[in-house]
Amino acid sequence: MIRRILSMSIALAAATILLAGCGKKEESKAGGADSAKVGFIYVGPRTDYGYNYAMDQGRLQLEKDLGIKTVYFENIPENAEVERVMERMIGDGIKIIFATSYGYLDPALEVAAKHPDVIFMHGGGFKLAPNLGTFFADIDEVEYLSGMAAGACTKSGKLGFIAAHPIPQTLRNINAFTRGAQSMNPKVTMNVVWTGSWSDPTKEAEAANTLADQGIDVLTMHVDGPITIAQTAEKRGIMVCGYHADASQFAPKGWLTGAAWNWAPLMEKIVKSIQDSTWKSANLRGNIRDGYVKLASYGPAVPDPVKTKIDSVEKAFVGGAPLWIGPIVAQDGSVKAKAGDTLTRAQIESMDFLVKGVIGSVK
Amino acid sequence: MTPSLAVRRKALAVRYPWFEGTLFAVSATLVFFVSSLIFFALLGRSPFLLFGELLSGSLGSSYGLTETLVKTIPILLCALATALPARLGLLTVGASGQFYMGAWCGTAMVLLFGHSHWAAMPLMFLGAFAGGAIWGLVPGFLRAKLEVNETLVTLLLNYVASLLVDWVVYGSWRDTSNLGWPATISFPQWVKLPLLINGSHLHSGLILALLIAVALHVVLSRSRWGLSLRILKSNLKLGEGVGFSWTGNVALVMGIGGAIAGLSGILETSCIHGRLESGIALNFGLTGFLVAWMAGQHMIRIIPLAFVMGALLSSGDALQLYAQLPEATAVVLQSILFCSVLATGGFLRRGRSP
Amino acid sequence: MTFIELLLGILLSGLRSATPLLQVLLGETITERAGVVNLGVEGQMLSGACAGFAVAAVTGNPWAGLFAGIVAGMLLSSVHAFLVLVAGANMFASGVAVWLLGGGLSAFFGIPFVGRRIDGFASPDFGGAAKLPLVGPILRVATPSVLIALATWVLCSLFLYRTRAGLRLRAVGESAESASTLGISPTKVRWAAILAGGALSGLGGASLSVDLVRNWVEWMTAGRGLVAVGLVIVARWNPWYALPAALLFGVVESLTLRLQALGVTISPYLLSTLPYLVCLGVLVWGSARARSKGGMPRDLAQVFSKTE
Repeated sequence: MIRRILSMSIALAAATILLAGCGKKEESKAGGADSAKVGFIYVGPRTDYGYNYAMDQGRLQLEKDLGIKTVYFENIPENAEVERVMERMIGDGIKIIFATSYGYLDPALEVAAKHPDVIFMHGGGFKLAPNLGTFFADIDEVEYLSGMAAGACTKSGKLGFIAAHPIPQTLRNINAFTRGAQSMNPKVTMNVVWTGSWSDPTKEAEAANTLADQGIDVLTMHVDGPITIAQTAEKRGIMVCGYHADASQFAPKGWLTGAAWNWAPLMEKIVKSIQDSTWKSANLRGNIRDGYVKLASYGPAVPDPVKTKIDSVEKAFVGGAPLWIGPIVAQDGSVKAKAGDTLTRAQIESMDFLVKGVIGSVK
Repeated sequence: MTPSLAVRRKALAVRYPWFEGTLFAVSATLVFFVSSLIFFALLGRSPFLLFGELLSGSLGSSYGLTETLVKTIPILLCALATALPARLGLLTVGASGQFYMGAWCGTAMVLLFGHSHWAAMPLMFLGAFAGGAIWGLVPGFLRAKLEVNETLVTLLLNYVASLLVDWVVYGSWRDTSNLGWPATISFPQWVKLPLLINGSHLHSGLILALLIAVALHVVLSRSRWGLSLRILKSNLKLGEGVGFSWTGNVALVMGIGGAIAGLSGILETSCIHGRLESGIALNFGLTGFLVAWMAGQHMIRIIPLAFVMGALLSSGDALQLYAQLPEATAVVLQSILFCSVLATGGFLRRGRSP
Repeated sequence: MTFIELLLGILLSGLRSATPLLQVLLGETITERAGVVNLGVEGQMLSGACAGFAVAAVTGNPWAGLFAGIVAGMLLSSVHAFLVLVAGANMFASGVAVWLLGGGLSAFFGIPFVGRRIDGFASPDFGGAAKLPLVGPILRVATPSVLIALATWVLCSLFLYRTRAGLRLRAVGESAESASTLGISPTKVRWAAILAGGALSGLGGASLSVDLVRNWVEWMTAGRGLVAVGLVIVARWNPWYALPAALLFGVVESLTLRLQALGVTISPYLLSTLPYLVCLGVLVWGSARARSKGGMPRDLAQVFSKTE
């Protein structure tokens, strides 16, 4: 008896509020999401000065340049949860969805299958559907350039890399950065510390302090937001190279440079193609040549001759010089590419080793 | 409570046996609404609008309704997993750790035996039960034999279990053909339960969960075992004197509770996500605890409350889309609800015996 | 690096890691000594971290941030005090409610502050002393939070064992009945104890976000508050033992990162379980000893073994 009354009263209260709220629903939607046709989904906060910030910068530029309205959702986890968000966006009239984080791929495919009139653009994936395409960019070359700055400016010869998870994209970054540093100073070593989380400021600060304790004087990272590591480096009086975005304001003295995304041109290209119906489902990729990635601004600690050298290598890359060209030797001594040979696209995308000079495990 | 009010209340309670329960439910709901109203008003938002969005988002469309039911399944199971040990007076907040271990062991079974069309699913469930049960038995054993507080042990083990899942998902179980994305291979179709509604995520695990709730209720209220639990909880010495085993029953309730939470883990993994990934337990363990508490550890009462919680959680993104409120709003509402229930329950109990 | 330097380095980074934990541990010890368990310290830590960071960001003054953290922690703990002491709710359930409330509110109100930059405490220039082999690292670790935490440690311990107020607190924890016959109001003392615990856990959270990490992310304390509740048992409710207990956790935590930096190849996820497992192990050992050798305030013992 009691249980029936309990559930009844809850249901009754709920129904009352539903009726009360129903009538006013129209007001809240007027002028809001109605006019927006493009939606963005981020896995974290857009103010992280990192991955999500970079995507959001692209969105803001898109709004400005093309004069369209957009909506965004932050902190959406990468599992079936995101399907609900997408469904709601579609229910609200959104026709183009940018799912910016890798883990959204399978959910996006499922939702895409149910809504053939909506176009989905996924960041980083390789699966396609008639109304789903992917986009991303290679940041390897810029990591190499960033590493050059580190190699040239380090006084102790010890570099540190704080990373979240050992996935191929991160391994590519570590290897590219290290090779860049080695090109300026062949004797540098690179210590890798895994935090096990895309965003854990406490661990990141601890890792930075630990590395600094061991004499490392240039840090870089592959985590969602570079803020904590940049600040900790600044506090310890060591240098830092950023990732994802320009976070130099967090380390005015120690900032060297960094590898940053520049998503706006790619996003505008995509939206324009949708607008004039030339859009086709494809895996859009680009790199430094297309301007989808760029080197962040230099800090005061980088001397001019180093800047010149980096600029010239940058020009070489833009001109077509390959990055992953042998000799490439792994930590255990095995030769991944002989002198003059280049790694294939597939080998790059599935990289599972760290180059010689890196201290740390791939697990 | 003034004496005359207390007397009147006592009279009503004697005359109508459902009075106390209703008084509690209505008061708690009122306190909740008033508190949330204040919270939203302080933010400068119309509370009625927001509640409207909340309700229409979670229940107002067929899509919303199915998604609410999808969320209800793990919350219901985790609540049952918390309520069963509570019948013996054990306070565990470990459902999410048992959830992860159930998912872990179930996935191990799928990876080993997934090719077998007929053996894979039963083995997967067996693995999930075992994994969850073990994760419940450890704090149980520590409590029974060494009197270590089980609340703390389960809380700590939650973090360990989540890390163990991360370990395999980023390491040896990672699907290498998926560009290093931290997840296992996709589960084959034959380890997934049939869907209740085609095209949605709503799987028959809902029926399973409801059956478990009913079965537990019947067993606990009608059987000798249920009686032994009640006796042991209210007077341990008496219970042991009559021949009921404290240690044995702790093991039973923690093991079965753990197995139920483990079931919810593998159901989410296999039927919702289709693979083992990091962070799938969300807040189910804690939410289950809240639901069990609010239901007074009563197995049937848990069902509608789990549904309400499911609606609350699944409306989180409705709030984000229409009201530009962050996801955290759902957590805040949950905690306000729980505080209201606790405060109301406490005051009413005090008022009963001045 | 000599062995001494290595050991010192590990201890110091452990201390840095343990500082927020130490504050919460001391706060919860005081609360439990009065006979109340507060699982909500995790939420109080989070609200302290959020409020501290927000105020430091807006005012540019880290001290204001620490103060804001204290206030936020106290406000949230007053909810627990109300629920337990006024409404008579079960203290474990109330703790969980406060935990959720603190986490939700901090996540909610902290959103505009994600990505903000704060200056933290200015590092004093120690000049030549900073380069000395043993003294240098010590000076580097001695940020205001660490110093405040150490001071709190001494003050709390002296308070509990050397002052009359501390005596009254312990009396209430041992037996509220006997204390009230002596004219001490258990409710008043418990209110004060819970609020003190709230102040200290808020301070711990603020130390984390304003000084040590200088960043704010929702749920950033990752269970440290709960670990503190466990460590209270390990420290046998004695604030003097709080420092070694917190250090133990802090050292294991920073050791897991240090091992990686040294090239050890164990999976970082498995390494991350170590602090929790060590805490669990010491908890079990501590519980066994507490049973046989005492140390638990008697009123609390009833709360722990009969949990309904």
